[in-house]
Amino acid sequence: MERIVTVWCPDWSVTAAGFGPETPAAVMAANRVVSRTPAAAADGVVVGQRQRQAQRRCPDVVLVDHDPARDARRFEVVVRTIAEVAPRLDVVEPGWVHLPARGPSRYFGGDRALADVLAERIGATGYAPSIGIADGRFVSGIAARSARRRDRPLVVDPGGSPAFCSDLSIGWLQTLGEADAELVELFVRLGLRRLGDLAALPVEDVLGRFGRSGAHAHRLASGVDGRPSSSTDPAPERRLDEVLDDPLAQSSAVVFAAKQLADELAGALAAEGRVCTRLVVLLETEHGERSERSWYRAEGMSASAMVERVRWQLDAWMALPRGSDQEITGGISLVRLTPDELRADEGAQLGLWGGQTDADRRAARAIARLGALVPEEAVTVPMWNGGRLPGDRYRWIPASTVELDRQQRAVSPAATASGPNGPWPGCLPSPSPATVLVDPCPIEVVDDDGRSVSVSGRGMLSGTPSVLRMLTGDEMSGWCPGASRRITGWAGPWPIEERWWEPTRHRRQARFQMVTDDGCGYLVVAEHRRWWIGAVYD
Amino acid sequence: MELAIDRAFTATPDLTGLAERIAPVSLARERTLPVPPVLADLFPEGGLVRGRWLSCSGPSATSLALALVAPAIAAGGWLALIDLPTIGLDAASEYGVPLERIVRIDTAGPAAGTAVPPGDPHHRRWPEVVAAAADGFDVLIVRVPAHLPPAVLRKLSTRVQRRGAVVVVLGDPGSMACDVELDTVSATWTGVVGGAGHLAERRVTVGSSGRRMPGRCRRELLLPGP
Repeated sequence: MERIVTVWCPDWSVTAAGFGPETPAAVMAANRVVSRTPAAAADGVVVGQRQRQAQRRCPDVVLVDHDPARDARRFEVVVRTIAEVAPRLDVVEPGWVHLPARGPSRYFGGDRALADVLAERIGATGYAPSIGIADGRFVSGIAARSARRRDRPLVVDPGGSPAFCSDLSIGWLQTLGEADAELVELFVRLGLRRLGDLAALPVEDVLGRFGRSGAHAHRLASGVDGRPSSSTDPAPERRLDEVLDDPLAQSSAVVFAAKQLADELAGALAAEGRVCTRLVVLLETEHGERSERSWYRAEGMSASAMVERVRWQLDAWMALPRGSDQEITGGISLVRLTPDELRADEGAQLGLWGGQTDADRRAARAIARLGALVPEEAVTVPMWNGGRLPGDRYRWIPASTVELDRQQRAVSPAATASGPNGPWPGCLPSPSPATVLVDPCPIEVVDDDGRSVSVSGRGMLSGTPSVLRMLTGDEMSGWCPGASRRITGWAGPWPIEERWWEPTRHRRQARFQMVTDDGCGYLVVAEHRRWWIGAVYD
Repeated sequence: MELAIDRAFTATPDLTGLAERIAPVSLARERTLPVPPVLADLFPEGGLVRGRWLSCSGPSATSLALALVAPAIAAGGWLALIDLPTIGLDAASEYGVPLERIVRIDTAGPAAGTAVPPGDPHHRRWPEVVAAAADGFDVLIVRVPAHLPPAVLRKLSTRVQRRGAVVVVLGDPGSMACDVELDTVSATWTGVVGGAGHLAERRVTVGSSGRRMPGRCRRELLLPGP
C-alpha cells in the first residue's frame, strides 16, 4: 500500500486568524466554535460549543469569525514550503496536506529523516506542524494528529497499520470525516468502542448490517486504505484547458472561466457515473508564471467545489507579498483542470435531520433556474469583505461559484466582527443603516444663516448644520438644489483616514449621523469639501 | 376492462381539476411563517401567511421588512432580494437574518446569451424572475416597478400563492393589491443631540391595513427592538 505523509497544522483556522497558542481565542461559524487555541482549550473551550458556553468557560476568549478564504490564503506559505521538499502533494483543506512518501523518503534517507526535514522547514515559517507517516491516508491522518501530543513526528512502520489501529477509539472515523456521527454513535452503542473491535467482525456481516458506509469504515479500521482510487489513470482527454486570448487580471473573471470548465468536467464525469476526488488546478499567467496545486476531497467534488478550489488557489497566489519569487505579475492566460483521481459515484446519503434541508435544495434549484433568466453574475450571495464604511463591509459574489450546500460559508455575521475586539476599529456603533446607497447621493448642508457648512482638517465645523438639501444633476452640468429638510439632530464628525500609504485608494472623510424632521436618519459623509449621503437608516 | 380504460382516457382533461379538488386542505393559520412577537398582533393570523403579499412603506420601511422576515429566515428559510442592491447587510444581520441564506437577483441588464431586447427589458423580465424566485425561496423582498399592467400583477400573485412564498413589497406597491399593508407612520430617533452621541433607538408607529385586515390597527414599537 502507498506510504502517505500527512502534515497537519492543529487548529489552523485560529492560527490563520493570527493568534498564538498562549492567547485564548476561538474561531466561530454559525455561532459554534470551529477552532480554538490551546490556551482556550485549557479553559474548557471545545469545538462545536455555542458562543455563550465558550464565553462562560473562558470569559476573556477573543472570538473571530470563520473565513475559509483567509485560512487558504495563509496556508499558501506552508504549502509552498512543503512543495520545495516534495512537489506532488494534495491539499485536503487548509491546514491539512497529504503527500506520497515514497520518492522523497528515499531521497532524504528514510521516513524519519523526511519527517524531520519537513518539520524543520515548516517550523522555519513560524507554524508548528504535526507530521505522521503511515500506510494509507486514514492511518497517516491519525498518526499526524497523535504526533501532536508527542511533539515529534510519528512514523507507523510499513504493514503496522492494523496493530496501530486496533487499540484506537472508534471516534477517529468521525474525526477524520470518514464516517458520520450517527454511524459512529451506533457502533459505540453496539459495544464497538475500538477500531480493532470493528475490524474483528467479518466484513460480509458489516456490509449486510451497515451497508456501504459500514463496509468503508470496516476497511479503514482494518488498516486498509479507504476507497480504492481508480486503478487506471483518467483518460488524457478529460484534461480541460481554457486559453484566454485576453489575459484576465480580475480574479472574478478567471473564476468564471474556471466555472465553465468545471461544469463541463463535472457533467462529463457524471455521465460516466464517476466523480473526481483529486483535481489538479493549473493557472498560468501571460508572463509564464505558474501555480499548480492538487486538491483532494474524499467525498468527491461537484462543479462548484472545483470552482471554489480555483478561487482559493488564485486568491492565495494574488495575495503573495510583492517581491517574493513566485509573485504574480501578469493576467491569467491559462486555466487547466485535470482530474487526477476518479472513483465511481456512489451518491450521498442525505441526512434525515440536520445537514441539507429541503429548503436548501429548493433554493439551489431556483438559483440554477434564475441563472438562465438573468445573467449568471446577476444572481449573487453576500461575502464578508471587511471595512469601516457600510458599503465596504460586504461584497456580492456570483452564487454559481459558491458551494451553497456547505453548512458553513464565509459570510460572517457582524455581531462578532464589530465586537470590542473586532478587527475594524472606527466603525459606527449599531444600529447599522438598513439602506446602503450604491451611488452616494450628493447633498448640501447649510447652517442657520444659509451658509454652506465645511469641515476643517482638524474636524472642526464652520457652523451648526441645520438644513440638508438634496442636489440633482451631475458634475459636468452643475448641481441644482432639490428638496430640503430641516435637521433636528446630528452627531459627529467622526473622521476617518484610510490607506494613506496608497495614493490611489487613499480616503479621508468625516462621517456624521443626521436626523431630519420627517424622522429619517442619514449617514452623511464629508469628503473634499463635498457632502454625500452614504446610507439611510430607514 | 376496455370500458375502464376508455373511461380513464376520457377522464384525462379533468385530471387537473381533480388534482385541485383532492389537494390537501390547509388552513391559512397552518401555513404561517413566524414574525417577531411584538409584530405578531399586526397580523390577523399572527404571522406571515405563505402565498400572500404584504407591503412596507414609510420612513422605516426597510428596517420593518428586515425585522419581519428575520425569524422565518433564521428558522431555515431562504430570502431573495430582487433588484435591491441597497439592503444594508449589517442591519439585516443585526435584525437576526442569517446572511448565508440571502440571495440577491438583479433583473436589469441583458439576459443570458441574448442581445439587449427592445423596449424596457427590466420591466419585461421582472415578473418572470419573481415567479421563478417564488418557486425556490420562502421570502422575497421586492420593489414593484412602476407602470406594470395590473393583469401581469394578478397573474403573478396567483402564481406566488400557489408556490407558497411570502412577498414583501418595499415602498409603493403600485396597482398590486396587497393582503396586508404596513405603514410606518412616524419614526423618532433618539441618541443624537447637537453633535454628540450616536443614533441609538428609534420609536416607530406602524399602522396596518389591507384587504385581508379586519380593521385598521396601530402599534408603537422600537426598531431595532430592545
